[in-house]
Amino acid sequence: MIPASCTPLSRVQQYALIALLTLTALPHVLNIDSRISALFLVLVVYRTLAIEKSILLPGKWLLLLVTLGALGNVLMHYPILLGRNAGVALLTSMLALKLMEMRVRRDVHILVFIGYFTLVTQFLYRDDSWLVLYALLLLFGLTAMLVESSRSTASANLIRPLGVSLSLLVQALPIMILLFILFPRFSSPLWSLGAETGAAVSGVSGNISAGSISRLSRSPEVAFRVDFNGEIPPPAQRYWRGPVFWFSDGKNWNADENEELAGADLISLGQTVDYSVTLEPTPGSWLYALELPVKVPRDSQLRSDYQLIRNTPVKRRVRYSVSSVLDYRTGPLAEKERQKGLQLPPGITPRMLDLVTGWQQQSRSDTALVLKALDYFRQQDFYYTLYPPLLGDNPADQFLFDTRRGFCEHYATSFTLLMRIAGIPARVVGGYQGGQVNPLGDYLIVRQSDAHAWAEVWLQNKGWQRVDPTVAVAPERIQQSIDPNLINDIIGAPILFGEIDSGLLRAMLNQLRWGADALNASWHRWVLGYSKESQVYLMRLLGLGFLRGPKLAYAMVGVTGLFILFLTLTLLYRVRERRDPISSTYQKFCQRLQRRGLVRLAHEGPKDFAERVINKCPELAGSVSAISSLYIGIRYGRQDNKPNRRRFNRLVRGFRP
Amino acid sequence: MNNPLDRLVIEAGKIILGKERTIRLALACLLARGHLLIEDLPGVGKTTLAHLLARLLGLNYQRIQFTSDLLPADIIGNSVYNREEGSFSFHPGPVFSQLVLADEINRATPKAQSALLEAMEEQQVTVDGKSYPLPKPFFVIATQNPAHQIGTFPLPESQLDRFLMRVELGYPDTRSERLLLTGDDRRALLLRLEACLDQGQLQALQAQVNEVHVSNAILDYCQALLAFSRSSPRFNHGLSPRAGLALLRSAKAWALLSGRFQLLPEDVQAVLPATVGHRLHSSADTAADEGAALADFLVESVPIP
Repeated sequence: MIPASCTPLSRVQQYALIALLTLTALPHVLNIDSRISALFLVLVVYRTLAIEKSILLPGKWLLLLVTLGALGNVLMHYPILLGRNAGVALLTSMLALKLMEMRVRRDVHILVFIGYFTLVTQFLYRDDSWLVLYALLLLFGLTAMLVESSRSTASANLIRPLGVSLSLLVQALPIMILLFILFPRFSSPLWSLGAETGAAVSGVSGNISAGSISRLSRSPEVAFRVDFNGEIPPPAQRYWRGPVFWFSDGKNWNADENEELAGADLISLGQTVDYSVTLEPTPGSWLYALELPVKVPRDSQLRSDYQLIRNTPVKRRVRYSVSSVLDYRTGPLAEKERQKGLQLPPGITPRMLDLVTGWQQQSRSDTALVLKALDYFRQQDFYYTLYPPLLGDNPADQFLFDTRRGFCEHYATSFTLLMRIAGIPARVVGGYQGGQVNPLGDYLIVRQSDAHAWAEVWLQNKGWQRVDPTVAVAPERIQQSIDPNLINDIIGAPILFGEIDSGLLRAMLNQLRWGADALNASWHRWVLGYSKESQVYLMRLLGLGFLRGPKLAYAMVGVTGLFILFLTLTLLYRVRERRDPISSTYQKFCQRLQRRGLVRLAHEGPKDFAERVINKCPELAGSVSAISSLYIGIRYGRQDNKPNRRRFNRLVRGFRP
Repeated sequence: MNNPLDRLVIEAGKIILGKERTIRLALACLLARGHLLIEDLPGVGKTTLAHLLARLLGLNYQRIQFTSDLLPADIIGNSVYNREEGSFSFHPGPVFSQLVLADEINRATPKAQSALLEAMEEQQVTVDGKSYPLPKPFFVIATQNPAHQIGTFPLPESQLDRFLMRVELGYPDTRSERLLLTGDDRRALLLRLEACLDQGQLQALQAQVNEVHVSNAILDYCQALLAFSRSSPRFNHGLSPRAGLALLRSAKAWALLSGRFQLLPEDVQAVLPATVGHRLHSSADTAADEGAALADFLVESVPIP
């Protein structure tokens, strides 16, 4: 007889398994060298062809050759076999090779388990919610595969194994939740396989020049999401402050990360807004907050120019709570700040000086001069465009007088420069402006396309005031977001702003997009955001505050163990329940004989067993035959009555072989 | 020795030496009103066993030697024109007796085989549109040579199913064989043998088979056996409900033969190879894996609940 594990596989099983495993390895195409993926694909296609023509199945020697080739392929691209990518490359290659070897049921079991492992490795790269759904779906399919291949005969339809698989996964759910809640969280990432290195993150950085923000504006990537505790402020007030740029060499503007800490000289003129931000990885350490932040999140500092800087760079998603005041007055200007706010880069041309002198003559106060400058942008033919013409050695001059086509960074930097020429302390502020409210989740999404730069000037009695010269040119910018899909990439072309489209398909698509983002946001917030702090908080809330560190791990093992024990006992009880009490008493009798080395076989009848026992141990003849004949009478004869049952129980209890 | 059944076994044991178990199985089969198929090599005592049973049970007995040119009329009889009466009259064939020994049944063509098998099933024969009931009790003991012998027409599965049991005799052990070689002629002994039962006693015993108590526990066991035969990949197809009925009926007869009125798992196990051996087929389709080995596998795989 052929052992069950060596049963050959049906065609349907082979096709299903190959499809499932290909899907399992599919996301890794992005992570490993394309030649490894190519080899995987070739092997899988070959194996699929071999289903119909089993003559194609490779023999032992060919398989060895292919294995060596695949190993060579991996070694060629990852010579020292270290790190995440090398491991995954090896795993994918091995998966394909094992597929080549798949002949009997035992191979299916091995393949399914390699598949499970490969699924887990996906999370070394990404932790998106869609990937979790994908992995769950494949887990479901692979488990069904395992169920089906463990059956002695093929199921009539697919519903049966899928049903069993589903019920298994549902049974695993409580354990999963338990492990999720109790598994000790670490402040540092659990594995460091280079997840953060080399990944190009986009975002506002500590250095801007002409074109650096307009480049960002083409990206629909999410920069951060914000949950407000109360009303969401109107778009015109949604200035998300990031780095503050003080220094310029005429082309680049740089931030000062070593500013002093903020003093307590901010005067609030309005209500405080409380909100939490989930910030995606960014190039620097800046945390974004509405102008101006007053409450500082953990692990970060507020500088005197109101930059919010985290102690460590934002290399992975962070979530923080901030409070801001939208109406404010900053205090007096320190001498050091005045000096920094007035320094001029080289490249100030006479035309710039003339322009400013003209304004100075016409206006009596600094405020009037600021308005004059804005009027200049408004009245001259300046255009707001994502594709400004290339600027040469003196971008500010060229922009102001020649090209007059630019994005927000052009306006903000040249305006700041003009203000400094006029003797008004000024600086450039980078960050984001606006953001879209997700109607499905009631939170704000700020994308890279919302990146913005604006200026700040210091005015007597008012302190630092925000001036956004872009508004003078393109007031819509503040009310609406730039839709990256509508960007017209002709140099100098004016920007079209996202209009609400009335098409049904478009509306549905939008709904879907909002829904997906809402799902993602909750995923980040509730699952990925479950940090060490949240764990400690939750434990305290449950009155289990004493569970920390290793104790938490012990608790996890203990509770999970208890849960499994409970399940086992219920299952055992259910099996036992069906048994006649007489039968279990007889079982006890057999167990006692077992201690003497007399084991009753499962298929051995009571009479045969009694005869065998008496044959071996004649001294037990009396009691064994009495018990056996009573058992036979009760269970198989017509003597099933209470006195007999009682007598039987008594006899077995007194039976000491 | 007041139990007539014990006497039957002992008397039979004097003729067929060392085959008590097979004799008991054959008796159980007849008590359970079933037909018996004896399969073995020529010369191991198949015909002697059939003779013996006929004589011990006091039944009238006819033997039909099956050959490849045997016709149905040779079995069931034919209508002959009676010149004096000017009409056809039916001359019953050898099948009209209480015990029919169908010797080497698989040597005849399927047509002749089915004539007998039809009689077994219907308990009557129909000739020229007229039905003639067969005597009661009516037993058929058929013998056949193993299928791989030359010149055999193996019985199809559906006809094998009509036999309650299939038993094998096998070679005698050394001691029995020595006794056989030194002892009297078996045929002479057979002729001297007297019936142990009269027909009334036989019918009473057959009625007693139905009175053997079958507990729920034993029904559970039988059903577990049937269910296992249907779910295990070892078997080509599972046991039919008819096989289940046959198993239970034979087991009851076996219990009665052992002088018990309650059915034990051991009884079921004892008759199982004989009752299901010819109804089970291995999925592996190797001749070595048939019959008794499959039955043993079935018994050993199903725990007694």
